[in-house]
Amino acid sequence: MNDPGPHSTDVDTARTRLREAMQRLAEGDRGALEWIYQATSAKLFGICLRILGDRGEAEDALQDVYVSLWQRAKTYDPGRASPISWLAVFARNRAIDRLRKSKVRSGSVPVDEALELPDKEPMADAILESGERSARIHHCLGTLEERQQDAIRTAFFEGTTYAELAEQRAVPLGTMKSWVRRGLAKLKRCLEE
Amino acid sequence: MTAPEENGPELPEREILAAEYVLGLLDAAVTLKARGLLTSNPEFAEQVARWEDRLAPLLDTMTPAAPGDDMWPRIQAALDQADLAGEPVIEVLALRRRVRTWKIATGFSAAAALALAFVALPNLRAPAPDTLPDAGPPAVGQAQQFAAADPLVASIPIGDTQLRLGVTYLPDREEMLVSASGLSADGVHDHELWLVTANQGTKSLGVVVPGEERRVPVDRALAKQLHNGSSLVLTREPIGGAGPNGVAGPIVASGNLRET
Repeated sequence: MNDPGPHSTDVDTARTRLREAMQRLAEGDRGALEWIYQATSAKLFGICLRILGDRGEAEDALQDVYVSLWQRAKTYDPGRASPISWLAVFARNRAIDRLRKSKVRSGSVPVDEALELPDKEPMADAILESGERSARIHHCLGTLEERQQDAIRTAFFEGTTYAELAEQRAVPLGTMKSWVRRGLAKLKRCLEE
Repeated sequence: MTAPEENGPELPEREILAAEYVLGLLDAAVTLKARGLLTSNPEFAEQVARWEDRLAPLLDTMTPAAPGDDMWPRIQAALDQADLAGEPVIEVLALRRRVRTWKIATGFSAAAALALAFVALPNLRAPAPDTLPDAGPPAVGQAQQFAAADPLVASIPIGDTQLRLGVTYLPDREEMLVSASGLSADGVHDHELWLVTANQGTKSLGVVVPGEERRVPVDRALAKQLHNGSSLVLTREPIGGAGPNGVAGPIVASGNLRET
């Protein structure tokens, strides 16, 4: 009940504990949220910061993330892949929403820096890694054409629309859609191999 | 390897849409369509979930970073407010504003309004509604309002600063005083105050004017939504506010009305 916190170094155990915490959260256990915050805030803040490129904005986004999480915990499906993946996407979506609504984009970090390896956060490591799936998506993205990778990455990390991408890359909208759609099809095949 | 894009067929249209939605590639109209599908079509929702799971590991590459020490207390405070409101704060972000409840009063001394309101207050403890001066739609009141005629007050901390946005609801006068003294404009954003109602979404209480005190008329419909614990949120908006069909911007502060 009073879990002292996420100190496990075992990925499976950590994932299980996070999943359990999410389930307690869905039952309205505020203590579970604090546990989840301690376990995941560094990762989720890193995501918000990376997307928004501004500490104040990222902190506002992070607040949105956990408040929304508390209110939406019931929408988490324990059957889904890893809970940290779900949380990470949740945070990414909140940050992207915020990015679109604000004008902080100019301050955001270039996409290339997203490829940095994470620092070794002792607490975060075990619980936050999605392990080989991570390697897999990188491998599969790497099989796409450069322009496909670029478009998919930019959309994912910056919430860029087709229209914006087409304009930025100076190609017709239809061309951009075609690149991305073919890229997505190939990506899916590769991930499912 | 030869041209990778020549390999294999494209995905079915629906699945493409799911991936595009997850990536955020879609324009506003198609995004709305996708959101509709998301709630009405389990298969589409499943495809969205799958794409999220597929792409999520990309986020592993982002360097973790420690938020400020005050982050958790901030979240707790926001949760308390959200709980009391009984309305998901997240909805505030997505809701289109329905009513522009007030427009910025012009040519009126905010300080004078404040003084007037407080001076007048002792005389307004149990007035007949139709004798209220300058109170917008007449005959609001009803028993409910006058039974709880004590002012409601919210003091909303602004981010990490020592500053607070003061909101005072005076049921007798059917107006709300919004004090933003001490706040300054950044020149690129306005801040807009919203009431989070239990069942009517959010209602704009207008743009907050930094450094000033404003009074906001409270009409009958709005008055019904105001009670001890009512949740207020402050959002960051483009200059001029969220606009008639705009979506509320990010929440930057929140608080609750309390009986004094």
